[in-house]
Amino acid sequence: MATVQVSEAEKVYILHGIRDDLRVDGRGCEDYRHMEIETDVVSNTDGSAKITLGHTAVLVGIKAEIGKPRPMVPDEGYLEFFVDCSANATPEFEGRGGEELGTELSNTLYKVFNNKRSVDLKSLCISEGEHCWVLYVDVLLLQCDGNLYDAISIAIKAALFNTKIPRVQISADDEGGKEIELSDDPYDCMRLNVENVPCIVTLCKVGHRHVVDATLQEKACSVASLIISVTHKGTVTCTRKVGGGSLDPESIFEMTEAGKRVGKALHTPLMKLLQEEESRGA
Amino acid sequence: MKDTPLANCERDFLLKAIEEKKRLDGRQTYDYRKIKITFGTDYGCCFVDLGRTRVMAQVSCELVAPKENRPNEGIMFFNIELSPMASPAFEQGRQSELSVKLNRQLERCLRNSKCIDTESLCVVSGEKVWQIRVDVHMLNHDGNLMDAASIAAITALCHFRRPDVAIQGDEVTVFSPEERDPIPLSIYHMPISVSFSFFQQGTYLLVDPCEREERVMDGLLMIAMNKHREICSIQSSGGIMLLKDQVMRCSKIASVKVSEITELIGKALENDKKARKAGGRCGFAESIPQERITALKMEESPVEMMDVTERANDIVQKAEAPPQTVPSPVVPVPGVGQVGQGLQNTWGLEDDDEEEEEEEENGNRGEEQEGKASKMEKYEKEESRGGDVVEISDSEEEEVVILHPETSDKAPVNTGSRSSSHQKGAAKSKKK
Amino acid sequence: MAGLELLSDQGYRLDGRKATELRKVQARMGVFAQADGSAYLEQGNTKALAVVYGPHEMRGSRSRTLHDRAVINCQYSMATFSTAERKRRPHGDRKSTEMSLHLKQTFEAAVMTQLYPRSQIDIYVKILQSDGGNYSVCVNAATLAVIDAGIPMRDYVCACTVGFVDETPLADLCYAEESGGVSSLALALLPRGGQIALLQMDARLHQDHLETLIEAAMTACKGVSKVLDEVVRQHLQEVSVLTGE
Repeated sequence: MATVQVSEAEKVYILHGIRDDLRVDGRGCEDYRHMEIETDVVSNTDGSAKITLGHTAVLVGIKAEIGKPRPMVPDEGYLEFFVDCSANATPEFEGRGGEELGTELSNTLYKVFNNKRSVDLKSLCISEGEHCWVLYVDVLLLQCDGNLYDAISIAIKAALFNTKIPRVQISADDEGGKEIELSDDPYDCMRLNVENVPCIVTLCKVGHRHVVDATLQEKACSVASLIISVTHKGTVTCTRKVGGGSLDPESIFEMTEAGKRVGKALHTPLMKLLQEEESRGA
Repeated sequence: MKDTPLANCERDFLLKAIEEKKRLDGRQTYDYRKIKITFGTDYGCCFVDLGRTRVMAQVSCELVAPKENRPNEGIMFFNIELSPMASPAFEQGRQSELSVKLNRQLERCLRNSKCIDTESLCVVSGEKVWQIRVDVHMLNHDGNLMDAASIAAITALCHFRRPDVAIQGDEVTVFSPEERDPIPLSIYHMPISVSFSFFQQGTYLLVDPCEREERVMDGLLMIAMNKHREICSIQSSGGIMLLKDQVMRCSKIASVKVSEITELIGKALENDKKARKAGGRCGFAESIPQERITALKMEESPVEMMDVTERANDIVQKAEAPPQTVPSPVVPVPGVGQVGQGLQNTWGLEDDDEEEEEEEENGNRGEEQEGKASKMEKYEKEESRGGDVVEISDSEEEEVVILHPETSDKAPVNTGSRSSSHQKGAAKSKKK
Repeated sequence: MAGLELLSDQGYRLDGRKATELRKVQARMGVFAQADGSAYLEQGNTKALAVVYGPHEMRGSRSRTLHDRAVINCQYSMATFSTAERKRRPHGDRKSTEMSLHLKQTFEAAVMTQLYPRSQIDIYVKILQSDGGNYSVCVNAATLAVIDAGIPMRDYVCACTVGFVDETPLADLCYAEESGGVSSLALALLPRGGQIALLQMDARLHQDHLETLIEAAMTACKGVSKVLDEVVRQHLQEVSVLTGE
């Protein structure tokens, strides 16, 4: 992440505040910052979304292309992730500086999203063993102010909701091979079911308490964080601990419970908002 | 390795000279350096000398699968290598800014202008096409790499012959050069780049900058044209601001230069074709013994000698007569003589001394005594300047006194003589 | 033949514009709070985002510090989803490096670097959607971002890409026109003095047409500069209202 220098006095101040459930910008420990979501921002992608979470800004574009399915699972399509930490976010990401962070982020995203429980991969299959839809999810970090995982996951969910995959017709051509025709009508498309797509909640341990949606300054005071991906039913699909510090098992349990609560509460308003925007656009 | 930085006085000198419309090598503002084009043994290998800038281009071809979005077109690939042998500033392996710039400019100049018919390179549409690869290597960097590279690349492409191919149904046969004559590439036109360098915020303009001029320039304008007066590429670089009139003027100059260079290339290709037909072995391997490749010959350049003698005489007369000193060998202790210490140095007149030493040598040989005398005279003559009369005075007599056959005295004398003979020997070697 | 498609007999282009008409320009300054200066510019369907950090102390190799001026460091990159075919490498390939060099050269001519010796100014431009005229849109966006950062410049730097079809110059090419094999000229201009900061042209063009093409490019750039000027003034008004003047 982009680093911020915090002095010892500031750290103590933030720590004491969080102990009393009061953060620097006045939020409670489990409150998110002001979030703005906009879909369909980039017109030559099949689906896109832009998220602003406080000062963090993320842009996600999804392109659907036809490819060969994976040999182990011939009847499923798959997702490919690429995270681009651009130099816009911070000068440290210039050139190859942002590659490390980008690879870390995309590996986590693979684990969370690329399985059949989250996304209905079977619907991405065109003809078993030969053709399938490959969704290239490209994440662009525009501004970095902490809590990248949450912002990216919400943006991906919104972009997947917005993705319009053209319908295909398979016809047999002369030599016995299959020919694929894409329908020309831009409105004749398939939408993905994003009900089960999880959202990631990052909980940072600051002192003895944990906070949701930490800013860069709060992150500088914490030594360890827990990343939990939660579905709308409150099921935890993936957990990961990041950071060099240690967490004792009790606090992990507490944090997971808090994460489930917060995550579950995130989905309903998000879906409502997305559907509202869709209806307004149409 | 870092390049030697340019001294401020050198920079000022160059800029001042340019203001007075003078260039280091005596060219006019719009003159190119001497261009020499030679070819290697293989088809497609070409060397270009632009003054002292030396560049080699090699063209090769390979059958590959075409690009997906262009299934019936061949592929052109350009690569410029800034080899460390060209300049200490070039590092092996690292893609510096200059390397990227030159590569992109060459690509734009040759590829985007579509000088080669890529569709004729297609063998089987969608499966096999020819990939033509042009490698340009910089052998010596003395300014204006871009022009030399473009001339080398396009000449090599004109010179290159690719193997003949026959398609029968589904079968493709590639004939080796022994079976069938290789065929040349179909080239529509020859784009050649001309570089203009700007100085003093665009007030002064030079064509074909040499390396020193490149160091002090503000910016560079590269115009690539062909002989039909079509502009293939324009690129301005460096942080200069141009005016539209300057650009128009440069394009006019460029069209003249390009037609000259195209003629030169045509002649070189003709000569090479004749040489190959005549069966003579030609090319790189043959050029080495004749020192055409490895020699960095300085061409004979005419020097103005008209009023040299008068000016030399002038200088000699007006020069101050050097101070006259009569050296007296100091004799601190009997048997030891010191000559030359504490007197004025003789740096300026070493040449004259040599000649005089030679005369002395030839004149006096033989007895030590005379040798000593000659040595003394030699020393005398060294110290005296302007042909003054030297008083062979008491000092010499004193030296002669030392020559008394006393063993204790002889030792220094011998060393003295040895040193004088050393001197003589040294003088002799100097003479040689 | 291509000319028939690109410029109809009535003088209309593929997207309905006339030959000298520019695409619609929409711009916003100050989009990111974290950066020193930022701007977002849309020219037709080409969208670019420019961010400026600086002037600040030299980062990286201290040996590149200049004793009398600031160093300008540019990076040009394209989002992977910006083009119709997905781009695998956002930056680091030759074309992007060349574009970064061109941007650096353009702004070195325009920014008054003598006012900030021994420091560095970073300009990062990202293309979010590419529909022709990438370089020009980048330069325009970067100009606004530099102004937003408060770094003094000699003049606005405006850029435009013009093409030549059927003896007529077309201003502000879109992607379809650019790839149609039209000779295109990209020009970066400082409008007040008529000075050209960067001139770049590919594809064959006869020498006699060069003057008309450059003239057309300069007129188009002057048009762009008017738009940019208005955007800047409007932004200033908004900001002064917010700060309560």
